[in-house]
Formats: sequence, C-alpha cells, structure tokens
Amino acid sequence: MSSIPAGVPTREIYWNVPFHDLLYVFLVPTLAIAAWGVYRRVRLWRAGQPILRFDRLGERLDLFVKDVLAQGRVVRSSYAAFFHTGLVIGFLVLFAATTVVAIQADLKIPIMQGPFYLFFQSLTVDLFGLYVLVGCAMAGYRRWKTKPAKLVYTDEATRLVLLIGVISLTGFLCEGWRIAVTDDPWGGWSPVGFVFAAASDSMMSDSLMKTLHTGTWWFHMALSFGFVAWAPYTKMLHVLTSPLNIFTANLDGYGASLKPLDFEKAERLGVNALTDFTWKDLLDLDACTECGRCTAVCPANTVGKTLSPRDIILDLRELMHNNAPALLTTLGANGAGTKGADSSAPAGAIDAAATLPPVIREGTPLDPEALFSCTTCAACMEACPVHIEQLPKIIDARRYLVMEEAEFPEGMMNAITSLESRQHPFPGTQFNRTDWAEGLGLDVLGDMEDPTEAEVVFWVGCGGALVERNRSTVRATAKLLKRAGVKFAILGREESCTGDPARRIGNEFLYEMLAKGNVETLNKYGTKQIVTSCPHCFNSFKNEYPQFGGDYQVHHHSQYLQELVEDGRLLNGKDDVEKKLDRKVVYHDPCYLGRHNGEYKAPRALLDGALNTKREEVARSGRDSFCCGGGGGMMYIDEKPDQRVNQERASQLLESGADTVAVGCPFCATMLEDGVNARKGDREVSVMDIAELLLEAAGDDEASAPVAE
Amino acid sequence: MKILVCIKQILDPDMPARDFKVNAETKEAERGGANLVTNIFCENALETALQIKEKTSGKVTALSYGTDDTEDSLRKALAMTVDEAALILREGDSNPDAEAVAKVLAAAITKLGEFDLILMGRESGDWGVGQTGGLLAEELGLPSLAFVDSIEANDGTLTMRRQTDSGTETATVTGPALALITNNEFNVPRIPKTRDVMMSYRKPLEKFSLADIGLSAEDVSGSSFYEVTDLSIPTKDVQCEFVEGDSIDEKIGVLASKIQPVVAANS
Amino acid sequence: MSNVIVVLFGNNGWDRSAEGAAGTGQRLAQSTGGNLNVVFLGDASKEARDGAAACAASVVVVNQPELAEYQPEAALEAAQKACAEISDTSVVLFGNDTYSQELVPRLAHRLGGCSLADVQGVTADGGQVLATRSAYGGKAMSTYSMKKTPVVLWVRARAMDPATPGAGGSLEEKAYELATPRLTITSRDVLESEGPSLEDASIIVSGGRGLGGPEAFENELKGLATAMHAVQGASRAACDAGWVPPNWQVGQTGKKVAPELYLAIAISGASQHLLGMGDSKMIAAINTDPDAPIFKHCSFGIVEDYKNVVAPLTEKLNSMG
Repeated sequence: MSSIPAGVPTREIYWNVPFHDLLYVFLVPTLAIAAWGVYRRVRLWRAGQPILRFDRLGERLDLFVKDVLAQGRVVRSSYAAFFHTGLVIGFLVLFAATTVVAIQADLKIPIMQGPFYLFFQSLTVDLFGLYVLVGCAMAGYRRWKTKPAKLVYTDEATRLVLLIGVISLTGFLCEGWRIAVTDDPWGGWSPVGFVFAAASDSMMSDSLMKTLHTGTWWFHMALSFGFVAWAPYTKMLHVLTSPLNIFTANLDGYGASLKPLDFEKAERLGVNALTDFTWKDLLDLDACTECGRCTAVCPANTVGKTLSPRDIILDLRELMHNNAPALLTTLGANGAGTKGADSSAPAGAIDAAATLPPVIREGTPLDPEALFSCTTCAACMEACPVHIEQLPKIIDARRYLVMEEAEFPEGMMNAITSLESRQHPFPGTQFNRTDWAEGLGLDVLGDMEDPTEAEVVFWVGCGGALVERNRSTVRATAKLLKRAGVKFAILGREESCTGDPARRIGNEFLYEMLAKGNVETLNKYGTKQIVTSCPHCFNSFKNEYPQFGGDYQVHHHSQYLQELVEDGRLLNGKDDVEKKLDRKVVYHDPCYLGRHNGEYKAPRALLDGALNTKREEVARSGRDSFCCGGGGGMMYIDEKPDQRVNQERASQLLESGADTVAVGCPFCATMLEDGVNARKGDREVSVMDIAELLLEAAGDDEASAPVAE
Repeated sequence: MKILVCIKQILDPDMPARDFKVNAETKEAERGGANLVTNIFCENALETALQIKEKTSGKVTALSYGTDDTEDSLRKALAMTVDEAALILREGDSNPDAEAVAKVLAAAITKLGEFDLILMGRESGDWGVGQTGGLLAEELGLPSLAFVDSIEANDGTLTMRRQTDSGTETATVTGPALALITNNEFNVPRIPKTRDVMMSYRKPLEKFSLADIGLSAEDVSGSSFYEVTDLSIPTKDVQCEFVEGDSIDEKIGVLASKIQPVVAANS
Repeated sequence: MSNVIVVLFGNNGWDRSAEGAAGTGQRLAQSTGGNLNVVFLGDASKEARDGAAACAASVVVVNQPELAEYQPEAALEAAQKACAEISDTSVVLFGNDTYSQELVPRLAHRLGGCSLADVQGVTADGGQVLATRSAYGGKAMSTYSMKKTPVVLWVRARAMDPATPGAGGSLEEKAYELATPRLTITSRDVLESEGPSLEDASIIVSGGRGLGGPEAFENELKGLATAMHAVQGASRAACDAGWVPPNWQVGQTGKKVAPELYLAIAISGASQHLLGMGDSKMIAAINTDPDAPIFKHCSFGIVEDYKNVVAPLTEKLNSMG
C-alpha cells in the first residue's frame, strides 16, 4: 500500500487512470452534440417576433440571483425546494470542483491543496455530492411513489433521475476506492467517500479495488459525458433555458404583461401561428420544467375545467418542435433571421407562416373553450419557478379568436357589444353613472368652474356605479373621502369603462379606443391623482395608460383610505376608532390588486385598524390568493353549476370560520356574494367591501336611511 | 342577388328607465347621456341579408335616413360585411312620420338601382310605429311579408318563413319583394371581426341630400300622416302591497288567498 | 256622420279580439254619429256572423276561395275593395294579430288614409281621431293626431270592452275579382300548445331569467300553472336563453297580453316586458329584489326566492280546490 507523505493536504489527480487525456478527445464530440442540441432550439426561438428583453441589466441580474441562484420560487414548495436546490447547488459545486481539477492539471496552477482542498474540494464537494444523491432519491420517490397529479410522467424524466443518481453514486465509489487504496490521510474530509472506503477495505483487496476503480471511473465519465451530450435534447435543457428565461423575464409585474398591438402593421391580430409569438414566448416553451405548479394553482383547472396552463406550454412546445422545418423556413424568409427583425416582415415570411399549423385547435390544450375559461388571475405565472408567461399567450390566442374570427362565448359578446355602444359591460343595467351618488352633493368635473380644484379624481368604475350590489361600496368610499376632507370630484357621465374587460376578453381594438377616450377626458381636466374603487381600473391606470399618454398617480381606495387613516384624517388616527367592528373578518385578495400589483398590506392594515377582533387568513391568500372567478371576462359567462370558481373560493373562505368576507373589488364582491350564498348553509355570512366596513366602523350618519333611489 | 337593407338608428332602448326623459315641447325623448344604436330588428335584417349573400352570392347595401350621427350605424353595418352604404340626410322634422320616411326610402331606392330583395326591421325600438315597411312596399309596388325570420334564395325564388300567432308559415315569391324581419335564434346579429371594423372605414358610404334623390323638404314634411300631440312618462299609481307574514308559510297563505278567487272565477 | 269599419278574419271566429275591436268600433261610431260596419275576410262562422250582426249596422262577409286561408295580397285587395264600398269612412279598425298588423299600413296607403299600430285607446271627438299608444319600449305614452282619412289602426282589442248588442244589422256575402298574387303562403305549421293561447289566457304564469334555467319552467312553474289553470309565459331573457320556445315571450317584441291575473316569477320587469303585460287586470310578482321594477306595477307581491314559494303555493292552491 503506497501512501502520500504527510504535509500539505492534497491528492493525486487522475490517480489510477491511465490515458486520462483521452477525456479531452471525448469532450470535443460531447460538447459538439450538446451545442447542436442547444443551437437547434435557439434557432427556433429566433422565428418569433422581436421584443426587448435584454434591457435593464441591473434589475435582470438581481432577478437572476434571486430566482436562479437562490432558487427563490422553486423553494416555495418545500419538498421540491429541498431536492431541487440540492441538485442545483450540487451541480454547481461539482462543476466548480471539476474546474479546480482542470486548473490544477492543465494550467499547472497548484490550487488543489491546503485548507482549500480540505474544506472545499473534499468536504464541501462530498456533502453536496451526497445532497445530489439524496435529491435523486427524493425526486424518484415523488415520481414513483407519491405521484402528484401536477407532474408529467415520461420515460425521459425517469431516465434522467436514474442517470444523475448513478453518476453521483459512481463518483463516490471511485473516491472511496481511491481513499482506501491510497490510504489517504485526508480521507476523513470526504466523509461519504470515507464510508465507501471503509466498507470496501474490509471486503476487497487493493488490486481488485484498483481494477474496479479504473473501470468505474471511465464508466462515470462516460455517463457524465453522455449526460452532457443528451441533456439539451431533454427537459434537462431547462438547466440553460430556465436561467435564460428568468434573466429575460417580464420585469414589470403581471399587471403589465399584455403587449400593445400595432393595428396599422399587424398582419394578424393576435396569435394563431407560432411565428406570431415573440421569441421570448418561444423561449418560454423550452424553459418549462414540467413541474406542473401552474396547473395545480389554476382556479379554472381546480373546478374541473379543461384549462391547463402547463399543457398549453407543453402543447406549444411539441408543436414548435414538430414543425421545426417550417419554422426555419419562415426564419429564412424573415430576413435571414436577424434578431429583432422588423415586424413588417417581407411577404415571403407570411407565406411560410401560412404553412404552419394553427395554434388554436379544438380538443387540444388550446381549445377555445379552455382559452375562454381563464380568469387572467396570474396564479400560474406567480407559481412558475422559471417565470414563464402563460397568461399573455392565452390572451394572444383570445385576441385572434375575438378579433380575427369573432368567435367567443355569448356572455362575453354581450359585454363587448355593450362596451361598444354604451361604454360599460353591463347590458340591461337600470342605473346610470351618478345614481349612486344621489344626495351626496359630489362635484362632477365637467360641471366645475375650475376642475383643477379637485385634487383627486374618484374613478367610480362600471362595476361600482352600475351594479346594484356595489353602489353602497362606492357610496361608502365617497362618504369617507368627504369626511376626510379630500377635495375630489367624479367624472359622472363622462366616465367610461377603462377597457379592462375588453382587453382581457381579447378585443384589443376596443380596449384601445376606450383607453384613448379616457385619457383624453382625464387630461382635459388636468388630472394628476386618481382613486379607483376597482382593482381592474387601478391596473389599467397604473400599468396600461401611460403608453397612451395617461400618467397619473393612482391609488386603490384601500390604499388611499389607509393613507388618510395614517394621516389622522379618518377615524382620528389609527388607534382612536370610535366604534371598532366586532366582525370576524377574512380578507380575499383581489388578483388585480394583489398578484398583479403587489398590494397586500394596505387593505389588511385598514381592516386591522377597524376591527376589534383578530383577522382571519386562509391558506390561499396574498401572493397565492385564489381568484373569485370574475376576471378575464368570466364575470359575463354562465359557468356550469358544478364548475363555478366563485363557489370554490367561497368554500375556502368559509373554512376560516369568518362571518364577514372582506373584498376590495366590485367583481369579487358580486362573484363571492353569489358563491357564499350558495355555500354558506345555515351560517350568517356577509360579503363586504373594505370601504363599507370602514364606514361601518367610523359610523355612518346615513346608516339608518336607505340609499336614495 | 342584390339585397337592400333599410336600417334605423334609435335612442338606446336599454337605457335605464330612470334616465328616460321627454321634452314636452318637442314631443321627443331627451337624448341625455344615452347612446344612439342601430335598432335591433334592423340588425336582424342585416344578418339575414348577409347570410343570404354568403349562401348564394351578390351584394348587400345598407340604407338609412338620418343625421350625420347615423353614419355610425352604417359603419357598423359595413363592419358586419355589408358591401356599401348610403345615408340620406334628414331635413326638417326630426321625427318624420312613417309615410314621409317611406317616401324618402322609396326615392332613395329608385336612385340606388334595382334590388331583388328589400329587408327592414319589423318595428323600431323607439316609437315602434311599425308602418314604414308596409308603406314602402306600397310606394314601390312590391309584395311584402311581415314577421319573417328566415329567407332562402333559390334561382330567383325566395322562400320566406315567418312567425305567426300560432306558429309559422312559409311563403314563396318570385321576383323582387320586401320582407319585414323579426328575430329568431338564427339571425342574431354577428359581432363584427375587428379586421372588418377596420376595413369598414375604407368601404363606400355615400351621403345624399333630399335634393339628390329628387325630393324637397316640403315633399316629406313629416306630419301629414300623423302628428304626435303628446308624449309623457306615465306615472304608475299602482301601490304594490307586499305580502306580510311572520313566516314564509303565512306569507304564502296570504298570497294564495289573494290568487284563489281569480283562479276560481276563471277555471 | 262618418262610418267605422272593423275588419276581421273569418277564420278567427268571434273571439275576444273580435269582440274588443267591435266594441271599440261601436263606441267610435257612436261618438262620430256614424255606423259600425264589420267586414269579414273569408267565410265566417254562424257565431261570428251573429256576433257581428248584433252590434253592427252592416256585416259584409267576403266569401271566396282565395280567402279561405289567409294570403297577404288577396286579403289586402279584398279589404281594400270592401272598405271602398262603404262610404264616408273615418276609421278602419283591426284586431291584434299577425295578419292585421301586416295589412294595416298597406291598406291605409291604398285607401289614401293614414295608419298606426298597437293602439291602446282611440277617440274621434269632433272628427279629430286621436290614438294613444306606448312608445319607447313602454317607457312613455304617446298621443297621435291622425291626419288623413280614413284612419286605419290595429288596436289591442283583447284589452278593450266588447260591444253592447244593438239593433241587428244587414248581412251580405260578397266576392271580388282579385289579381293573381305574386307571393303565396305555401304551408302553415301550428306550434303545438296545450289549452288556450297566451293571448286568450285568463291567467298567465310567467318566468324570467331569475329562474336560472329551463328546469324551473318544466317543473315548479308548470305545476303552479296547472294548479291555477294558467298558461305559461316567459320574459325575453328566458326565451333568448333558449329555456322556453320563442312563442312564450311576453313583451314588446313578444305577445301582448291582458289576462285577469298575471303572475310574474323571477322577472325583474324591464319596460319592454311591462309593455306586453301592463294591461293585465291584476299583476302579482315573486322576486328576491324588493327594488325590482316589476313591483312598481304590481297589485301585490312577495319578496322571496321563488324556490321557497312556488311549490308550497301550488300545494296550497290545490288544497283550496
């Protein structure tokens, strides 16, 4: 038994591996195969339309650190967090170790020694190698034993888990036999290898171990190289595409995820061919890790509808790869595929695109019925560990169906028709835009001598003014604003829909007309600040109107009222509420206030200031909130009785034991009131807007008198 | 097949009842904040015409007698894929009587050329007088059928189905005819494709004055047939008695006792 | 002295519509000092001839094969010729049915007169004919001064009082030479319905969108209608949703009815609906929303979910016999 003299801790590189330089010979084809695998995907993305996603590098780097390196989103699922983080960091560490070896062996820089050798190259690498092994076991356990529905079960995935496990295991075997045979005095720093060494030492002779070591080492290398070469042809490609996808993610929040259309130039309104998507949309497809979290959180999917964001992505991915030759033809026609090709593509590109199959096909995940059951709640995008943008793709497809084919559900048609002729989506309403304010003596901008005296415009919204249920909400908000002495005015008859329902249903054209009209009206009065009662209006002003020249400081009423409370202008300051509420309240986050715009705190703070009791929370809240079922035009559709999102959500909220469901959105109020009434049984449960609750806490002078007709 | 559809733009009939106000002076409804929309039966007529065109071939023309505002309704018709539109600009009385309108339409149709089929809505959602179609048929000397809900065209023969009090009737006519369209599930007006909405601004929409079609304002003064002498919002003095009771059973008992005598008297 | 003509279709018999039209004609004739004349297009039953003769100064039955079944051109020409033979006519009245509605404007044009539809009240004081009717989908009432003679109207005859029997008048049968029609009605399909038509019903049980689906019409409301000896009707929303056939629709664009009792269940009461049933003698409503417009037109109502009311009410009515 030979031994290394005591002294500086290190080990012999390529011990017991003759002809190890052959590695470099094998590395060339390996990398070539891998590179081809990557390239054949990258070139397909380039068939997509241009979009700017390499700007704002600082922010992108931040996101990269947060969600790639720190696995920020992966870790939201604790099981996956544990094994996936292990695999990722393990891979990074092992890759670093390999690099260290290369530096020492090929660059002849002696870094693999001393404390660095002991702590990093031995101990750390060993532990993370173990982590990888455990990770594979956990992934395997989940895949073969617990089998959650959200996963996609393929042979490829099985082989990948096994392969990584075997690579890791053979690495330890080699290490163990090396330690045992060389009697490595630093062997203890590699605890896993050390255990293998101890076990082998007692069972085998040195020569057997040396023989096995050489064979296994080459086997280990063959598997590793094979893995590298094969990975880009499997879902392991996500090792590259997911970080790239996160780096090029939409940085502006879900509320700003829909692209404007250039109606002058667009050859097709919306998307029905792969080439209508942007290159980032196509990259999204290859970035998918098939984790299934999007579909698991999807409210439509939860209640049994066919919509599945995961399957939309996977179906499109398959479509992209099955039509690679045709896509590449469009690329050739598309000005030799120069990145950022002009959107006014030459005629040849259109001809080539015509040979592509449609994206929207009945009976597939992109069936119109599925596409028109999306509530645009963005839960899928929030759940995606790699920032895939499912929602814009769904809306792109809707745009095609609505604008090019005019084929969409009847309820949505009625809303659109009403928006076209009456600028609100509620046909048959018996109210006008100012009925709710009767007797309050509110200023109407158009009637004011000096409209700039109004510091704030209270944007009431169609859902507030025209829907019976919500008139008391906007009335409460107006009363509170008055009480706080806010100089505000309403637009009255000049207000029209912000266009949110039109945009989400897919009628971008109508949305643009409404948006432009509203911006013109607001700018005419020199509007600077807006308070909205509806998160959908809020989202339009905040994220969508700036591109039409509408730059306003916009607040949701919960935010503005909370500011007034904090400033002591309402309730005489936070701690001096005259009459605190004894209700048991659970708050439901509206998608367009919460997930789309990140406001979770203000409504809760406002409620906490008005309550005597402790507020309840449900599991699906905040970032993970479950939609009321009313977004994306779904408000206007009659869902099948056994597939109602609002009832599902009502059940979740009722489980909290609350007697009051607090909401901050007129759509949520109507949907959840229906849902709660259907599911509450004998309980007395009411659905109330935050403004109504605050007014109740502050004491409503008019409480005894009914709202004037 | 050349089809002409006469359409009327009216005050939005779906405006909230409480917003509805009348001007006692002019004997007309106040526009207020309400919108102007195409009369629904006229849209059913457009849809019927377009379906005939799509099944056979030919051209659909939309015609209206109105103001510049009426252009919106005609543009919408063009967006529904009507081929061309004509607008006769109204002069004089803003609420011309049915006979005056029929005369204008007849003169306009003569000016526009020959048509195999003329469609109109059965009545309008504003005044709802429902006379213009019959009068136009007389002016043009055409056979007509009312309450038609579907039409098939075959080698110059038109087969029309119409709704009656007790069911349906089928009629055939050869040569030009006029049909007054009512709604059914098959002629629900289509939602225009956005592409067609954009194209509608490039389609021909010709405007004519009365003089252009050989009439003078005096010819169609608009009150030689009838004249509205009063328009008012009825004040219902019915006071609903809400059935009271401590329990729902008691309420139902009261309700039953109120209904029962009428039932007994009529059974 | 100016005469009044009531034009009826022989096939319809002496129904409620004929009675109301004749009654209105009689009252008009009395106020103008003229005679009431009844013209039947097509052969009329003995009952119809007797009914007409009991109140009219003259009855003309245009009885010829071309009028055995309604044909638009034949009916128009026959009506034109029959009316032209009666001198000094100020008003020609029709009832409220498909054929009348179709003929009125064309006949007015041919007689050189003027016309109006869906008239709810008509007076002829001092030779000036005034007609009142709903406008703007029932949101307004309007009065028209008619400018040409004769004034041809179709009226909501079922809601109008019948004639009082007077001295029996003359009755003669006539036949005219009629032009070859260009348009021919070739087939007629009568939709099957049990019992009387909506227009003829004394009691109507109507349902609206608030019922949530066709099941309630098929079950609860049908049961109640049976117990009340009523005919079922519906709002436009329910018909448009396809829950019930289109000919169930009551309202501006559906049937205009005037029963003794109209029970509106889960109908909010849009003005267009009210226009079709506002003449009912008694209106009752079941609705969850106390602010629903229907309650502003009701004699009595109950603010409850129909699910809690209809079945027990049916039971109660059955037990009361």
